[in-house]
Amino acid sequence: MNFVWIFLVSVGCVVAVLTGNVDAMMTSVLDSISAAVELVIGLIGVFCLWVGIEKLAEESGLIDVLARAAGSVFSRLFPYLKGRGRPLGTVTASVLSNVLGLSSSTPLGLRAMSEIKELYDDRLEGLDSMARLVILNAAGFCVFPSGVIALRAALGSRAPAIIAGPTAVAGLVASAGGLLAYRLLQRNGRAGDDR
Amino acid sequence: MRVLSAIGTYAFPVILLGVPLYAAAKGVKVYETFVRGAEEGFKIALGTLPYLVAVFAAIACFRGSGALELFASALGNVLSPLGVPLDMVPLLLIRPVSGSGALALTGDLLRRFGPDSPMGILASILQGATDTTFYVVTLYFGSVRERRTGRVLASCLIGDACGFVAGFLVWRLMVA
Repeated sequence: MNFVWIFLVSVGCVVAVLTGNVDAMMTSVLDSISAAVELVIGLIGVFCLWVGIEKLAEESGLIDVLARAAGSVFSRLFPYLKGRGRPLGTVTASVLSNVLGLSSSTPLGLRAMSEIKELYDDRLEGLDSMARLVILNAAGFCVFPSGVIALRAALGSRAPAIIAGPTAVAGLVASAGGLLAYRLLQRNGRAGDDR
Repeated sequence: MRVLSAIGTYAFPVILLGVPLYAAAKGVKVYETFVRGAEEGFKIALGTLPYLVAVFAAIACFRGSGALELFASALGNVLSPLGVPLDMVPLLLIRPVSGSGALALTGDLLRRFGPDSPMGILASILQGATDTTFYVVTLYFGSVRERRTGRVLASCLIGDACGFVAGFLVWRLMVA
């Protein structure tokens, strides 16, 4: 991320100066900062709601039920969380929310991140589990992409949901490709050299 | 398709009612527990702000300067011989980087070509194919103050590329 950040900023600044776009670049940066603040303010409500619901699921034992039910598939995807209780259940709930296109996916995902951190602290088993969760949710495999469907409907599509099948295929391939790439990069890179 | 759409519609109320009912049946103090969770959610959401500002600013610098367009036109020279429409190339670059930017671009493509035209369908598929990778990586790892993100980011971007290729191939089958 260090490299990406410096790359984006330095290329951006050099191009802005060379093409005389400095003003546009500055406006765009200032706008984006307000956008980040607005986004977080919007997230606060959603996070309060879903982490609240998750707490209920946790204290009532529902998360443990989910962890056991999702056992075979998810414990294969997350070998270091297998048999370690709660984090696997939260991970499962987050990924399933993503698949259904629910807003609970991100709050549950971040809860799962902190549970994994609690379990492993800075150890590589924790990093590996976090990485897999992030790869799955960033690929966004989804059987009901509600955002795109709503946009299509709003713009007068006669079959707004026709793209659900193809996007599901693409999302599944993106998830598999991301996990595979992670495996390959792990094998070729040195353990712990993960900046 | 109707089943999928029904799941999408009813999952929300089922979870919103089902989880508290289950908890109440198990003897959990529903209101107090919910509020404790909500407090945690509040802290998680606020804690991500510094990370989001850092990443949003860098991306805005890259986009606002016109560097993104330069990259898009370079990439277009490579992709258009492969049958990828030139209008889609900016979307491929923006999708992993900016959620609102990609949504605006998809909206523009749908308006220009019509949502049910081949181009409109391709734009919709590419928009739905992946999530905003930079945002997800920043948010998730930022929330636990984890900085070892390089390998994960690279893997996600490779995954996005795989998803785009798959979406493009399915689209070719659909419109052929």
